[in-house]
Amino acid sequence: MATRTTDIQTDAEQLVMPRESKAPASQSLALSGGSPVVFPLELPQSESRLSTPAVGQRATRPDARLHGLGQTQYIDDISFPHMLHAKILRSEYPHARILNIDTSEAEKMPGVIATLTGAEIPENTFGPTFQDQPVLAYPIVRHLGDGVVAVAAITEQLAADALEKIKIEYEPLPAVFDPLEAMEDDAPKLHGETNIYTSKVIKKGDVEKALKESDHVFHRQYRTQMVEHVPLEPHATIASWDGNGRVTLWSSLGRITLGREDISRTLAIPQSRVRLIGTVVGGNFGGKNEITNEPIVALLSKKARRPVKSVFTRGDEFVSSTIRHPFIMDYTTGVNNEGKILARKVRLILDGGAYCSWTGTTIGKGSILAPGPYNIDNIHVEAYAVYTNKTATGAMRGFGAPQVCFAYESQMDEIAHKLGMDPLEIRLKNGFTENSLSPTSQTLQSVALKESLTQAADRFGWKEWQK
Amino acid sequence: MLVELRVNGELRSADVPPETTLLKMLRESLELTGAKLGCDVGDCGTCTVIIDGISVNSCLMLAARANGSEVTTIEGLASSNALHPLQEKFEEYGALQCGFCGPGMLMSAKSLLDKNSNPTVYEVRDALAGNLCRCTGYTKIIEAVIDVGRNMKAETNA
Repeated sequence: MATRTTDIQTDAEQLVMPRESKAPASQSLALSGGSPVVFPLELPQSESRLSTPAVGQRATRPDARLHGLGQTQYIDDISFPHMLHAKILRSEYPHARILNIDTSEAEKMPGVIATLTGAEIPENTFGPTFQDQPVLAYPIVRHLGDGVVAVAAITEQLAADALEKIKIEYEPLPAVFDPLEAMEDDAPKLHGETNIYTSKVIKKGDVEKALKESDHVFHRQYRTQMVEHVPLEPHATIASWDGNGRVTLWSSLGRITLGREDISRTLAIPQSRVRLIGTVVGGNFGGKNEITNEPIVALLSKKARRPVKSVFTRGDEFVSSTIRHPFIMDYTTGVNNEGKILARKVRLILDGGAYCSWTGTTIGKGSILAPGPYNIDNIHVEAYAVYTNKTATGAMRGFGAPQVCFAYESQMDEIAHKLGMDPLEIRLKNGFTENSLSPTSQTLQSVALKESLTQAADRFGWKEWQK
Repeated sequence: MLVELRVNGELRSADVPPETTLLKMLRESLELTGAKLGCDVGDCGTCTVIIDGISVNSCLMLAARANGSEVTTIEGLASSNALHPLQEKFEEYGALQCGFCGPGMLMSAKSLLDKNSNPTVYEVRDALAGNLCRCTGYTKIIEAVIDVGRNMKAETNA
């Protein structure tokens, strides 16, 4: 440990040594001290992007110049004359029925121009898989991040003050926070008759028979936690209507085509009247893949007849924007004495939070990847996504892949340890090769798993580390 | 209340409500939107500016508190005809991805290099500890700052 700091220093110094690049230096990207500040109005041609092979060459981003100069315009850097600022009041309970909303005191405040509740939204549902999520919750709130009332005022501070004047009466309902409890028959239900809202089964071979024939059977439960994307730029939107009944939205949304569909649906106007401008996004990571405050801002702008901007607070970001699905994963794996995997049985429980969001994609990817990149003849995967009264879970880098990777790789280590095998060897023994079949019988091509593992082990000194 | 600042060498003033933060004054009254609002509680560092030689989270400082001081923002980092070496190296190393942390990160790095022109990796990490980045994993940022420091040292010795 004593040499740790020195090691970091040496490593980093090696990293910053000039690298040999085969890319011809491009005129517009060449930089040297004292070069004039070039404001790129056209996309600079990066030769390394055009040359083959591009792998291993350094490519600069065309937008980095303005990023470095602090001149990139994110949503919050844009403003319009007479623009209002919106804030959203969120639920006080994880599960409750709204009995009454009184916004009159807030509306009396000078400078407060418009308020909006869920009952005023033309079609109060959206979602990329199922349309089960309200824009502003009404009459049921299903988690603490559910927005209930939005306010537009002449300053952000005033909008925040106005939220404190809003009175909402709730009838608290029983809530459920644990996905396993939520699966039971007598658990409080969030939507309809069951909390299990989607499932997936993958079968290959005969798992039970293969487990009986295995020399060793390993069983363990693995769990992962919620993760928030924390994009440094919070979700932000500006809306403005024109004289022809069309709304223009500037949004930090990453998927504008899907967003436009959802906005047109919630506002009940044709897509031709929605103009959605996606600008530079200050970090997405999956969290900006569906609409959040866009319809709210659009409707506030319509009521106020002025442009309205809404920027999530960091608190809004954590409690109301989607997060990564926590998984509860039961793995049972049968191996023979040589370390060959004969069977793997997996049960995944996805904690979906209050709404579906991108669960459809997550459960699919998570299930297909659950057995790991290994040739296994007998597979049984079953996965269930379950509603709970918590922040809705959605897309985040990998759609379920990192969760199952944690489980199957942890179990591979356990198996190797028990059999007295080298953890690398057991992976090489079972790993995918060219033309291996995936759990859903897709023939895999360009498989470089074993080469990658071997090269990585050589590069970071796996054998030396093992001693 | 009237707040007067020397921002990037220029005398600027604005009449702001007393609760206005320096960040809000810079962004809204002076239209210098380079410093960003990321968390509003001093955790993320996207609002970093340099006041009288010290890097601060401008979201935590009241504008009134900064009255009469010398403020450098990201807009003042490049000169009218040349990028600051940090801007060049950040671009070259791919240290700016989504770019939202960039202005704050660059100002913290400048503040470090102004005091210590050839920092160690450990010192760079320490100086940038108050600036969060979710894209790069920090490696490229640290490499870029080290490289600038190395060039500065080479120039001093030459």
